[in-house]
Amino acid sequence: MLAAFEWHILWQRIFHPDHVFVLALWRTIYISVAAQVFGVLLGLIAALMRMSKIWPLRVLSGLYVLVFRGTPVIVQIFFVYFGANLLFGFNLIPRTADFGLFQLDGAAFAGIVALSINEGAYMREIIRAGIDAIDRGQMEAARSLGMHYRLAMRRIVLPQAARVIVPPLGNEFNNMLKTSSLIFFIGVTELFGDAEIRYSTTFKPVEYFTAVAFWYLVLTTIWSVIQAQIERKLSVSERGEEPSFRERVFQAWAPVAAWGRGAR
Amino acid sequence: MSSNGFVMSAHEVRKRFGRLEVLKGVSLEVKRGEVVCVIGPSGSGKTTFIRCIHHLEKIDGGRIEVNGHLIGYREQNGKLIEDSERSIARQRAEIGMVFQRFNLFPHKTALENVIEAPVQVRGVPKRQAIQQAEELLRRVGLADKRDVYPGKLSGGQQQRVAIARALAMRPALMLFDEPTSALDPEVIGEVLDVMKELALEGMTMIVVTHEMGFAREAADRVVMMDDGRIIEEGTPEHFFREPREERTKQFLSKILV
Repeated sequence: MLAAFEWHILWQRIFHPDHVFVLALWRTIYISVAAQVFGVLLGLIAALMRMSKIWPLRVLSGLYVLVFRGTPVIVQIFFVYFGANLLFGFNLIPRTADFGLFQLDGAAFAGIVALSINEGAYMREIIRAGIDAIDRGQMEAARSLGMHYRLAMRRIVLPQAARVIVPPLGNEFNNMLKTSSLIFFIGVTELFGDAEIRYSTTFKPVEYFTAVAFWYLVLTTIWSVIQAQIERKLSVSERGEEPSFRERVFQAWAPVAAWGRGAR
Repeated sequence: MSSNGFVMSAHEVRKRFGRLEVLKGVSLEVKRGEVVCVIGPSGSGKTTFIRCIHHLEKIDGGRIEVNGHLIGYREQNGKLIEDSERSIARQRAEIGMVFQRFNLFPHKTALENVIEAPVQVRGVPKRQAIQQAEELLRRVGLADKRDVYPGKLSGGQQQRVAIARALAMRPALMLFDEPTSALDPEVIGEVLDVMKELALEGMTMIVVTHEMGFAREAADRVVMMDDGRIIEEGTPEHFFREPREERTKQFLSKILV
């Protein structure tokens, strides 16, 4: 039956993607990036609320994590898309959301909102762990110099916590790229949705889903390269001076060059 | 400047952690330019006491004034109410603190550590702050380390940067919390030298330390604490020659071997 696999479909999807596909790819990227950015912001706010002196804020932050880590993302997506309108009796998700500079498809907007809120719950734990990992003496030293809490947090604690937060944050974004496929179910034609539609008209599911797997792999691979770069940059101050790219190339070549000279 | 002539005056300070009372009424007055060493066994409350002066710990009773201003609290109808975060921060800016474990900011170079507070808290122009910081680093003998990150400095060097960082705020009072007890023996001297020089220049200092050699050379007064109280007070000579209390004698015999 392997012969039945139509390779030309796969090659065509990989090497000659049409503009409909490119648009779907672009949707996956911008929805994931937007949801991750807002997720980090929500997570940061929730993490700071969790450490607040005011107990209702702490409770609220706890409830947020409890609910959004404890229910499936797909349920949250449907809830935001259909449920809010029904529950609150107003149209939370317009058919198209107008942001002045650009317009956004209502379903895509709902998807970003749902994914952000879900992501924020996970990011709260990651950010809190990052802040907890910083020695208490850092906050004390900053405050002993006359910095108030917010200044000390912004200038001293958070920059150090960032180094602890970035590796798990990278994993979260990797997940986000893939989880965003769920918003196909509220009608956003992103990567997965595009494959789904193609297969339903051609009845060649294996070919189309192999192609879509390839493209997800491309996205996550590119991201892991970017992530490695960010992590290297952030760890610079820990190790002292960082050699530039050119210096690293020269260093890598030095033993080879020495060997070359020795051979002659 | 100060209403009662003292840079720091503490009156009947009490502090408890849960059921444990660590300060049972500590009173101490420090004049301008005076260097006071606080000694005592661990658990005697000496570190807690100087942390209270900086309001890193809230106090449960008594009062602390620095330059005539009540620290951490304001008086309202005869009651003490904890001050706002911002005004506590303003007060802390006037008091320098050097920690046992240095607590330098690891993501900033030596110079950046020193200019951070003047620029961010006082709004000093960056160029001016850098000039001042270079001068301070020269004073602690680390002019050549200005662009080095703390991770690449020895303990003694880190502690000297920490002293420069505290001095950059031009404090009226410097607090030292066992500044040499986390250091290797061979670098203790370089930190003590910087502190001695500071004392000679007339800085008002309260130093929690076990370095009796430093006390003898630089201190005007030594205070012995035990079990949350000041049990003996006198010149360094007094402590070397004729300590009065039995517990002081016992303690000194242990640290002077």
